Amino acid sequence: MEPEAAQSPSSSGKPVEVFNSIRERTITENSMVVLLQGLQGQVTTVDLRDESTARGRVVNVDAFMNVRLEDVLYRDRRGQLAHLQDLFITGRNVRYVHIPDHVDIMKTIESQLAKIHRVRNFASEGGGRREFAKKTK
Amino acid sequence: MVLLKSLHPPTEGVRHEQAETTAVIDGHRLGCGTLYVAETRLSWFDGSGMGFSLEYPTISLHAISRDVSAYPQEHLYVMVNGKLSDESEAEMAEKAADDDDDNDGSSSSGGDDDDEGVITEIRFVPGDKASLESMFSAMCECQVLHPDPEDDDSDNDFEGEEYDVEEAEHGHGDIPTFYTCDEGLSALTQEGQATLERLEGMLAESVAQQYHMAGVRTEETKPEFEDGMEVDAAAMEAGQFEDADVEH
Repeated sequence: MEPEAAQSPSSSGKPVEVFNSIRERTITENSMVVLLQGLQGQVTTVDLRDESTARGRVVNVDAFMNVRLEDVLYRDRRGQLAHLQDLFITGRNVRYVHIPDHVDIMKTIESQLAKIHRVRNFASEGGGRREFAKKTK
Repeated sequence: MVLLKSLHPPTEGVRHEQAETTAVIDGHRLGCGTLYVAETRLSWFDGSGMGFSLEYPTISLHAISRDVSAYPQEHLYVMVNGKLSDESEAEMAEKAADDDDDNDGSSSSGGDDDDEGVITEIRFVPGDKASLESMFSAMCECQVLHPDPEDDDSDNDFEGEEYDVEEAEHGHGDIPTFYTCDEGLSALTQEGQATLERLEGMLAESVAQQYHMAGVRTEETKPEFEDGMEVDAAAMEAGQFEDADVEH
């Protein structure tokens, strides 16, 4: 899933959307969040700051490490279990995100970065690499 | 017991409004009212106009619970950092500056409560269970509008304009990335020179073939010869192309 989908569908105007997009992309490619974004579709466990845990399928992780999970088994800090259909955890409250054993970390990071670079090049004015600018003679 | 405050429902930026919604705070049922998911804050009002509101930065998580064995009714679960105690969250935020005067330690805003681990559990039970997805999504959208300002881990100094990655990587940001043939030669490195000679060699071969076809560039011309740069290099080898009538 492209990083583009991680943005908030803001209705407050296009300029804000673009700013968040660029900023989020830059934050993402300069932090380990890029790895977490590569976990989309995987089932994993998130440990929260209050020591509760949530195990479910990763729907989305944004640049601020807000995590959205679905089909979640949530164990609160008292140890009580509950099933939650959808769960949104604020980035601030994430302590750990467990990376499943079968996930190749380097490959995931590389492929996520490649997606970001493709999006960046595609989105730049004129499309494609800007080296071959139009020549006027 | 939560004392409700007389607040006004938000009028702007309301992403979702859900009537017939019961609010339950830490197990205390407040009755039926309307939930407003607005971009600035989350609020709920009962029939008489009394209500409470929550600031998104104070919300740790929210979820859809359809597990009736855990809680008998399907609802939107919201975990708030800190206590709502005797005042609404909005009122507490307003009084943040006067913390010293009326604070008994249980309602300070921001970071203090994190250490104590005190939380408030709120459940919004809508009459229409099918609306839970919309309520949840609206909250997600509003939550991302309020990124954590105290986050020291992520470097948020990326306010500048987007840059050309390839320029930055090759360190030639202030140098034009193409040249006319004369000025370009002097800017080439040794390697660049060698590459240019090799390419021109290749070009000369194909140019020679084209020359035999009366100087008309055919459709078989490779795409890489189509851009301005290559035309100039070709001109060096076969200057007569400059004036030729090229039919495409």
